Amino acid sequence: MARIGRRKLLKLAGAGAVAARSGGIAAILAAGRAPAYAQASSVHWLRWNDFVPASDELLKKEIAPAAEKALGIKLNIETINGNDLQARTTSAIQSGSGPDVICALNNWPQLYAESVVDVSDLAEEIGKAQGGFYEESKVVANDGKKWIALPWCVLGAMICYRKSWFAEEGANKFPETWEEYRALGKKLKAKGRPIGQTLGHTFGDAPTFTYPYLWSWGGKEVEADGKTVVLDSKATVDSVKFMTGFWKDAHDEGGLAWDDTNNNRAFLSGTISATLNGASIYLLAKSKPDTYLTEKGTPLWEDILHSPLPKGPAGQFGYHLPMSNMLMSYSKNQKGAKEFLRWITSKEIYEKWFTSQQGYSVGATTIWENDPLWQKDPVMLPFRAAARAGRFPGYAGPADRHAAEGLSKYLITDMYAKAVQGMPAEDSVKWAAEEFKKIHA
Amino acid sequence: MIEGAKWRRWLFFYVPLGAFILFLLFPFYWMVVTTFRPDAELYRPWMAPNYTPFWTLHPTLAHVKYLLGETLFSRWMLNTLVISIAATAISLFCGLLAGYALSRLDFPFAGSLGTGIFVTYLVPQTLLFIPLADIIRNFRLGDTPWSLILTYPTFLIPFCTWLLMGYFKAIPKELEECARIDGATRWKAMVYIIFPIAVPGILSAGIFAFTLSWNEFIYALVFLSSPEQKTVSVGVTSELIRGDVFFWGALMAGALLGSIPVAVIYSFFVEHYVAGLTGSVKG
Amino acid sequence: MAVPYALTERPSYAGAPRRGPVTRLLEDQRWLAAVLLAPTIVLLGLFIAYPFVKGVELSVTDATVGVAGHFVGLRNFAALMGDSIFRIAVANTFLYTAVTTVFKLALGLWLALLLNRHFKGKALTRAFVLLPFIIPTVLSTFAWKWMFDPTFSVINWTLFRLGLIHARINWLGDPGLAMVSVIIVNIWRGVPFYAISLLAGLQTINPELQEAAAIDGARPWQRFRYVTWPLLLPVTMVVVLFSIIQTFADFQLVYVLTGGGPANATQLFATYAYQIGVGTGLLSQGAAVSLAMFPVLLVVVIVQLLYIRRVEIH
Repeated sequence: MARIGRRKLLKLAGAGAVAARSGGIAAILAAGRAPAYAQASSVHWLRWNDFVPASDELLKKEIAPAAEKALGIKLNIETINGNDLQARTTSAIQSGSGPDVICALNNWPQLYAESVVDVSDLAEEIGKAQGGFYEESKVVANDGKKWIALPWCVLGAMICYRKSWFAEEGANKFPETWEEYRALGKKLKAKGRPIGQTLGHTFGDAPTFTYPYLWSWGGKEVEADGKTVVLDSKATVDSVKFMTGFWKDAHDEGGLAWDDTNNNRAFLSGTISATLNGASIYLLAKSKPDTYLTEKGTPLWEDILHSPLPKGPAGQFGYHLPMSNMLMSYSKNQKGAKEFLRWITSKEIYEKWFTSQQGYSVGATTIWENDPLWQKDPVMLPFRAAARAGRFPGYAGPADRHAAEGLSKYLITDMYAKAVQGMPAEDSVKWAAEEFKKIHA
Repeated sequence: MIEGAKWRRWLFFYVPLGAFILFLLFPFYWMVVTTFRPDAELYRPWMAPNYTPFWTLHPTLAHVKYLLGETLFSRWMLNTLVISIAATAISLFCGLLAGYALSRLDFPFAGSLGTGIFVTYLVPQTLLFIPLADIIRNFRLGDTPWSLILTYPTFLIPFCTWLLMGYFKAIPKELEECARIDGATRWKAMVYIIFPIAVPGILSAGIFAFTLSWNEFIYALVFLSSPEQKTVSVGVTSELIRGDVFFWGALMAGALLGSIPVAVIYSFFVEHYVAGLTGSVKG
Repeated sequence: MAVPYALTERPSYAGAPRRGPVTRLLEDQRWLAAVLLAPTIVLLGLFIAYPFVKGVELSVTDATVGVAGHFVGLRNFAALMGDSIFRIAVANTFLYTAVTTVFKLALGLWLALLLNRHFKGKALTRAFVLLPFIIPTVLSTFAWKWMFDPTFSVINWTLFRLGLIHARINWLGDPGLAMVSVIIVNIWRGVPFYAISLLAGLQTINPELQEAAAIDGARPWQRFRYVTWPLLLPVTMVVVLFSIIQTFADFQLVYVLTGGGPANATQLFATYAYQIGVGTGLLSQGAAVSLAMFPVLLVVVIVQLLYIRRVEIH
């Protein structure tokens, strides 16, 4: 016992020294409080495995030892496939044991609101220090009264397109409206270079396209009261009608069954000219310039640009996947976990992770728009302030459980998929509206 | 074995067998090719003129190296092996005894018990894993191989029991009776007369129990959390699918390396099934 | 739900003298049965009984993740009746199970008969034919997913080169074909299971019976129909029974291949239950979906068990 105590003490002394050197307020605060939780000192953090392997490396090899030094906690980072996170979360909550902190996608914090710790103080503190959270980050992590999770980042979704192919059709910049995009896409498809878009059951690329598309036409699921279903509107029907033509004219019809990975591969292999995606296509192409080539044999990444989705009659929108850290109420080390969250979300530490992402993730607070990272690569620039135009499913109502149900049943996506497969637009809209009414019943 | 002309032998034997092998092994071959294909070739659409689906011009070991060097693959293999063997052993032991009792002994409620064991198999795992997590926590088995070794038998035992009951029933009652008239106890008759005859059945039940454990995904996902405790299916999918990018080559290398050793072991067992037979059935 | 099997009454042999008390106890069929069944009952009782009861309990509450919920009777089940996606899932599951079972049985039996012959490389073939079953499902399904991918499909390439198609086939994107694709993969995975189980069954059949029938002048088909098949039937029934249950509750394959899409064309019971219970956190409704298949399966099971019993009496 005595020996362990001494070792701990040495560590703590070291932590103080590091904190003093690095000068981080949070680090000093944390080091000062370290003895209080020296006994219960491990934090288990469950996340998805990042597209950017370097970020996971950073977390495991640098951040974890740093956390041990600064906070005296043993940080245990577990990364799993994003698709499997909910199964783990559900069983952890139901059995009352599991990771102390879970990094949730979308509005999952709303689903697990009864099983998380109120982190309002922490969120207010971080929000204040870092220029405030984006609306999208807020609606998923705040239940209207308190913060049920601490926003972590936003995964920007942009159209990734081939500069030279667009130029060949006379488009030197990305089309502004859906009509222009459709006209351009028609020309591209005629040359065997269609637009690639999934309408399948996949949590990333399908809803991040279909929801903003719907909003841009003026369609919405419910009124602001979060109860009255107003999906069955002229705007929605118009959007569906346009979609069916747009699909036939300009899209790769294989997209009906794509998951989040298919469009990456199709784009990298040069079979589609544009697709809505995170920055992963560009970043991967850039990291392996010899592997991914254009038909001319030049590196593919040099021919890629990004753009937000075009405008519709009702405006221009985006839906970017927000991620936030839930502090679980069954955790036996809530205090330590909270300190950990404060520490890792602090500017100094978060910056390291943010930089390692190369722009794939945007910060959850506005301050990160000013990061020097964005000066490095103009192609990544559209992602910088992407989260500003972001809305979340459930609009105009809250991003609550009902919104999540509609999302996880892929109702909006299927509404378009059905129409594309031949169902009359009015019928597919009616079907989706009925399903939403059942959810809100 | 097929009497008559040579063409009959081809028509009724070689051609269908060849077709089966093609259908069953093609996807496997596809994995082999993918494993050794360089990334640049992997991203070639089928309409491309230089698309070569059935071979690769520049085979590479990069994916295998990545799998073995950058992930804990060998550790996952070991875990999966230990868990599968232990779960199979437990299930076979239980299934063998229970199957014998239910098919060859006369006792009250035999029927209800058999059905009861069967019914547990009807509960879908997609539902079961949630309350089962409770038990794992109560027994403090979380993140240990025991969480799987003890839960896999829940779906393996009903299967083993019923499969073995099928085999036991095919064995004539007279065999046992002769032994008992010769003075053997019930226990001895069971162990020395009936079990040896059922060896092929036991082996096939064992093979299936092992394979089901080897393939299991959702329990392994939910009950294990440390990277060094994971099994092959969970480990490979959580390391080699990153966001919206698949590490195809390494993923397929994982599938390949994770199944060939098992196939080799099976080929040894399959030989034995036949050997086990010749002596016993004749009686 | 007692389904007794054919256990013909046998005179119980009195234990011979000069045996220990344990041995004597084990001579009694009831005691022996109790001893033999104990490990199974303990294990299943510990790990299945509670979760099962809990699952049933969930389905009659309005519980969500982390919230215990109140008793609501059969409201969740009633809600399912009006759920259009649920109806699609039911229809899909029946179609999927029926089609795959027929194919798996027919092809599996055929393959077993082929493998039961003597030929060079028999042992190796037998082992390698098992591969589809051995490769972890998740991983083999990824391989299939790629083979069906509209952009990369090797199947399309082959058909195109053979001149059988002129445009690509959208395997997973077309609602009808998506179901066909899922069915193909399931058959691919399942045939080895049938083949090897039935092969083992074939091997327990005494070859002398076949020889005797051949000497009596029976044609190969007749020998199969009147000698092999009746003896193979008990094993076949069990294999079919388990396969039906497994297929009915199939999850991984569809989850990886299509996620139930496009537009729920491949949605099954299990994937829908998962989508609702885990994806949306509505545990009670997810449990209700899972349990809605229970009575159906139970009927299937009872019918089959009765049939097995009838077969055995003959």
